[in-house]
Amino acid sequence: MPDRAPAAPAVPAVPSLQPTRDPRVTLDDLLEVVLNKGAVLHLDLIIAVADIPLIGVNVRAAIAGMETMLEYGMLRQWDEATRAWAERSGSRGLELRDGERLITRMFGGHRLTGEVYSGWRPGSVHLTDRRLVVLRREPREVLWEAELAELESAALETERAVGGEDRTRLRLRLRDGGEALLSAAEPERLHRELLEQTPGAKALAAADGGGGGTAGPAGKDGHEGHLWYHEPRRGGAMWRGGRGRLDAGGLSWKSPVDARPALVLAPGDLLGVRLEERDNPAGSPYTLVLDTPGGEVVLAADALPDWTGPLHRMAAGGTGQEDGESPERRRDDGGPHR
Amino acid sequence: MALTVDEKSLKHGVLTLVVTLVEVIQEALERQALRRMEGGDLTPEETERLGEALLELDEAMKEIKDEHGITVSVADLHRGLDEVVDDVVDKLVNPARWAEEAGPGGGSGTGTGTGTGTGTGTGGAR
Repeated sequence: MPDRAPAAPAVPAVPSLQPTRDPRVTLDDLLEVVLNKGAVLHLDLIIAVADIPLIGVNVRAAIAGMETMLEYGMLRQWDEATRAWAERSGSRGLELRDGERLITRMFGGHRLTGEVYSGWRPGSVHLTDRRLVVLRREPREVLWEAELAELESAALETERAVGGEDRTRLRLRLRDGGEALLSAAEPERLHRELLEQTPGAKALAAADGGGGGTAGPAGKDGHEGHLWYHEPRRGGAMWRGGRGRLDAGGLSWKSPVDARPALVLAPGDLLGVRLEERDNPAGSPYTLVLDTPGGEVVLAADALPDWTGPLHRMAAGGTGQEDGESPERRRDDGGPHR
Repeated sequence: MALTVDEKSLKHGVLTLVVTLVEVIQEALERQALRRMEGGDLTPEETERLGEALLELDEAMKEIKDEHGITVSVADLHRGLDEVVDDVVDKLVNPARWAEEAGPGGGSGTGTGTGTGTGTGTGGAR
């Protein structure tokens, strides 16, 4: 299938008022068009058995973005009432005590470790000059709260998420023996500002809570630049240009006309890196072939050496982390005769 | 072929599906929010609240995806959905493609007019 770029029509019959469309339509685009235009459905349905009607359905529905709804004069009062109610219900942020000052606020969460459910509960972390609070806005709940005076120590630790990515977390210990693990958008900044507020707390060195980070720092082992990707499609693969990005999180490739990366490769999925002499649109005789569990990924770049080095290192470092959690299968050599 | 469904793969699959659908909804909400902000009948305070809430949602989604290691599979599925939509829209816009796909000899009745008329005829490779 050749490129479906809007080519000049051979016979410019009616050059104006021709329907046009992007070379790629995404589900999100489709949904946006539907919501912006609005859709109305009137449906009458009779369910019959042996020509005897038994159940009747009559549906009248309209769905549209609120802006479109208001344009057509629908739901206007409700919209206003909803917003007025939110206005009346007052501040939604953290209620500060008298004389309390908000130092910083960022997205974050609190790790709940319970009997039934353990997991991260996202919200936002508020640091004031007296308290540290993790607050969830909708539905409103204080997920975790501690007085700074109660804080014994704060340490940054690295945690390996299930996805194999290293995340920096903040572990707090309180004087009463309580403990909490918080996530934050900028954990280092939160840690620093927290310690500035509580000189009495010990800043413990970062404890390494996961298998030592094998992935190098993004700065040293990362690379970003133009990259060609031989994208597999239903009608056969085709070369497309775009930007590749290689960092500790893996390799991703995105075309400027796409809404999201077409290629996302975690470090552990890179099994091998080869150079092969194949035709490619870049100015190099060699094409880059990556072996992955899902098959070959074919790339081409004008500046190959910039990519091959980091990729080789990623392939070498991305192994050796298999979860050795196969359930033990005891071979039951039961009695000789049962 | 025997399919082994263990707890891990089931969780992974179901979670991927759910998170992808939530992502689609999130995208729609963000675009409508943008329209409302441009519409100009929101107060600055409301605009700020809306923006913060959407940002918070985005962070929460990232966190969930990372924590369960489904970032890649969600991106894959989302992209797969996009391809299906792209394909369907493409067919609706170019009824000529149907006959093409039916292959030679299958050029029977052309599609019911979709009202686009003027087949732009970006004929495929032959």
